[in-house]
Amino acid sequence: MAKTQPPEGSPRGLTWATAAYGAGVLLNVDRVPQWVPVAALIFVIWRLMAASRPLRLPGVVIRSLLAVLLVAGVLLRFHTLNGLSAGTALLILMGSVKLLETRSQRDQFIVVAAAMFLLLAACLDRQDLLRAPLYLIQVWLCCAALAVVAYARTAPSSAAAPAGFDNRAAMLLAGRSLLFALPLAVLLFVFFPRMAGAFWAIPRSDEALTGLGDSMSPGSITQLTTSYDVAFRAHFDGTPPPPQERYWRGPVLHEFDGYTWRRTVRSLVHMQPLQYLGHAYHYRISLEPSAHRWWFALDTATGSPQPTVYFTYDYQLISMEPVTEGTNYTLVSYTSTRATSPLPQLARRHDTELSGDRNPKSRALAVKLRGGVASDSAYVATVLDYFRKGGFQYTLEPPQLGFDSVDDFLFNTRLGFCGHYASAFTFMMRAAGVPARVVTGYLGGEWNFAGSYFIVRQSDAHSWTEVWLDDRGWTRVDPTGVVAPERLSRGILDILPNAVSAPARFVWSQPWLAALLQRWDALNTTWNDRVIKFNYSDQLRLLERLGFQSPGAQQLGWAFGAGLVGWMLWIAWHVGRGAPRSRPDKLARAYIALCNKLGRAGITRESHQGPLTLASEVSKHRPDLRNDVDCLLLRYSQLRYGRPERDSYPAKVRDFERDVSRLALRAPASETPRR
Amino acid sequence: MARWIKKRQGLDSLPLTLSRRRLYILPTRAGVGYGLLLILMLVAGLNYANSTALFLSFLLIGFTLVAMHQCHRNLLGAQLVAATAPPTFVHRPGTLTLTFENSATAARFRIAAGVGEEPVAPTDLPARGRGRIDLPVIASRRGVVRIDRLHLITTHPFGLFRAWTWVHAPIEMLVYPRPNGSLPMPTHHGTKAGTRSVTNTGADEWMGLRPFRDGDSPRQVDWKAYAREAPLLVKEYSATGSELRMFDFGALSNLQLETRLEQLARWVVDAEEGGERYGLRLPDNFIKPDRGPEHRHRCLAALATFGLEDARRGEDTAT
Repeated sequence: MAKTQPPEGSPRGLTWATAAYGAGVLLNVDRVPQWVPVAALIFVIWRLMAASRPLRLPGVVIRSLLAVLLVAGVLLRFHTLNGLSAGTALLILMGSVKLLETRSQRDQFIVVAAAMFLLLAACLDRQDLLRAPLYLIQVWLCCAALAVVAYARTAPSSAAAPAGFDNRAAMLLAGRSLLFALPLAVLLFVFFPRMAGAFWAIPRSDEALTGLGDSMSPGSITQLTTSYDVAFRAHFDGTPPPPQERYWRGPVLHEFDGYTWRRTVRSLVHMQPLQYLGHAYHYRISLEPSAHRWWFALDTATGSPQPTVYFTYDYQLISMEPVTEGTNYTLVSYTSTRATSPLPQLARRHDTELSGDRNPKSRALAVKLRGGVASDSAYVATVLDYFRKGGFQYTLEPPQLGFDSVDDFLFNTRLGFCGHYASAFTFMMRAAGVPARVVTGYLGGEWNFAGSYFIVRQSDAHSWTEVWLDDRGWTRVDPTGVVAPERLSRGILDILPNAVSAPARFVWSQPWLAALLQRWDALNTTWNDRVIKFNYSDQLRLLERLGFQSPGAQQLGWAFGAGLVGWMLWIAWHVGRGAPRSRPDKLARAYIALCNKLGRAGITRESHQGPLTLASEVSKHRPDLRNDVDCLLLRYSQLRYGRPERDSYPAKVRDFERDVSRLALRAPASETPRR
Repeated sequence: MARWIKKRQGLDSLPLTLSRRRLYILPTRAGVGYGLLLILMLVAGLNYANSTALFLSFLLIGFTLVAMHQCHRNLLGAQLVAATAPPTFVHRPGTLTLTFENSATAARFRIAAGVGEEPVAPTDLPARGRGRIDLPVIASRRGVVRIDRLHLITTHPFGLFRAWTWVHAPIEMLVYPRPNGSLPMPTHHGTKAGTRSVTNTGADEWMGLRPFRDGDSPRQVDWKAYAREAPLLVKEYSATGSELRMFDFGALSNLQLETRLEQLARWVVDAEEGGERYGLRLPDNFIKPDRGPEHRHRCLAALATFGLEDARRGEDTAT
């Protein structure tokens, strides 16, 4: 086989490949440093201008230099070429350098492939509902670009051919093909076995995500900027808990150094068995990705939803891996519990521990207040009373606290948010020998009427105290509720609207906009739950609903195979069938019937014979039939080829049809039949 | 492989409808690259349990399968109605004209044909229409050259698949010997070279004017009459008494066979161009003096097939 020069790409192919590539860059524009798409844009314009006017394209030296320079730029910015963002930036830059040397059809194919790769990168990173249509359009664009590139006119000699395959035809063809592919895509999506992490480990997200940390030092914060981002959504089966019960439990902080509360891992402590009281809440949480390993649950959960998630002795859910992907899980919680056994000594010691002798004034106050009451629960009420009446104020912009943060807060500033109150209250408890710990999490949530679920946002973050009371076990006490009772029943936005950014505030101030956003959020949630988080267990559940007994991978394979074969047959039939020949019209059918009758009578019409030559055949070989047949054949040729009289034409065709059907021809006589 | 295909399909006759049984399809190089891209997409989507990437790869997998059917369909049912090759000379570019008919209601695009492996000159067939491919063919020997095997190919619509078929139709092309040689043209039958006669003009007997026919030499056109806005007329001379040129194979006995034929072809071509009357004498054939394109063809064809009766079934030499 002689190796020839690769076919020259057409200008139209170049335009389309560039368009597909440019759209691919646009889809990634928010994921890479800004200079990357700008550089790509410059190269795209350069290439397009070079195609339309005599502008030189850079030679191999300049291209190599550019490539090295750009790789260095990416390295400088990311310190690696690995990872999704760095990889995408590199792909964009190298693709645009490739564009500069795009001449042949093969080069154009490569540029379209780069566009598809960019689409994949965008898909891997961003799965919003809003982007899904953009992705579909990009697939369409890429496929149409493939068609145009492939159609490239290689030889100018074939200019005589009709220009039937224009841009519109390419778009239509690609669109049609994708529509044909859609059923298979859905089928594969539903039945193709999923295997997360089967090929390589899933890297941690390199983006800083908001969320609760594992420590809390309220004294260091002078302005709490809360984010409007969603932490998770909660769908309840049946009635949701009342507002004052909507405490979502997160990390529990045990260790206090006088300034900062920390979470410490104490594996020696056994979980306190609990007696669950009241209503059992069954619900499903759709957790948003975060940098942490916390899974949130309505206080108090009854167990872990998954083997990979620990249920700790202080009733937190901690996953083995950070929540890099959105996750769904179902739980059962009781908002009221009672301990059935006394607190172990080890746990008591941990949760009454106050290292050093910091905050002496608060210690003295605690001892004094505890001395005045008989029981721990009375002491809790006394301290709460102290907060209520002590001139404390709720604010998100507290002054910075000194080294002895609790003393400074209780006796000096008296301004703070939930962290300050939880911290000071827990300290007061411990100083009086009452076991207590800080629980962080979320409080409340916004009810989405469109989807019937709660949206819990980062701005709903909260912290409270748990106190061990001998007759009840761990008891939740929320000192913030004493200072700002409205915080319990309403969101933080209602109390302190300035806590969030201006756009969020604007949305919150426009009820119609808020309602619209709620609907949008509900739609998004459905998208996330049904599509984005669709996984192996969902697949099995679906099979079960389809009637499979104890479904497994094998059943999944069968369902998948059956669907695949069905689709293949459908496509083969639909695309592969020859275009239907148009059905002969009424007149032609009657003529064919006449010819068939003649054939039975011994006169076969050859394909080159028209009606009149057939008539002469008849008169030559079967003069006996002439009277009947000749006139019919003449009528046919007049109807077919004569000038049609508009009004009488259909009637004449009908008459002809009738006369043909009435015609009875005698079989050939003794003479030998022709042919 | 080629032999097996030929055995499997048998010899074809035109018009030929491309049926399912004779169509073959494989991915192109671009298609293979694209397939690798799809696999990578699928693996990434599976590994990250990323529904969007998974759906994207599933959609593109479906798209690829559809593209395969469409590529197949682009050839399926097309009709090769005629393959004609006008005679040409050895080593001169000739043309094999393939005429296709598309009886489908959808157009077919980018159907290329080739005699060797590399396809050339794709054509588009409009819905219910015809298309033509002019295939350049160069023969390396004289005689009746059979184009044994024709390659019809398409990569439309997306360039990911290549559907093709082989046609083994009896397509024959007559290849004249290459006009070559520098011997002077003999004047007329019987006379020895050297005693040149007067040129035909004037010596021939004037017959009259007749309308121009294709192939008439421009020298014989009555241009003066044409300038007077008369139709194109040709001056005709009677054959009797006019100078004839008789090209005799036997007179060139000092040359080798092929060289002789080439010399004779040279003369025939030159004489025809000069508007002269000429005849040809071969050992097994005698062509009376005449002129005109048909006569020229008769002479050249006689030269082309001279001594080659058994070689008609010879191997294919056209490329």
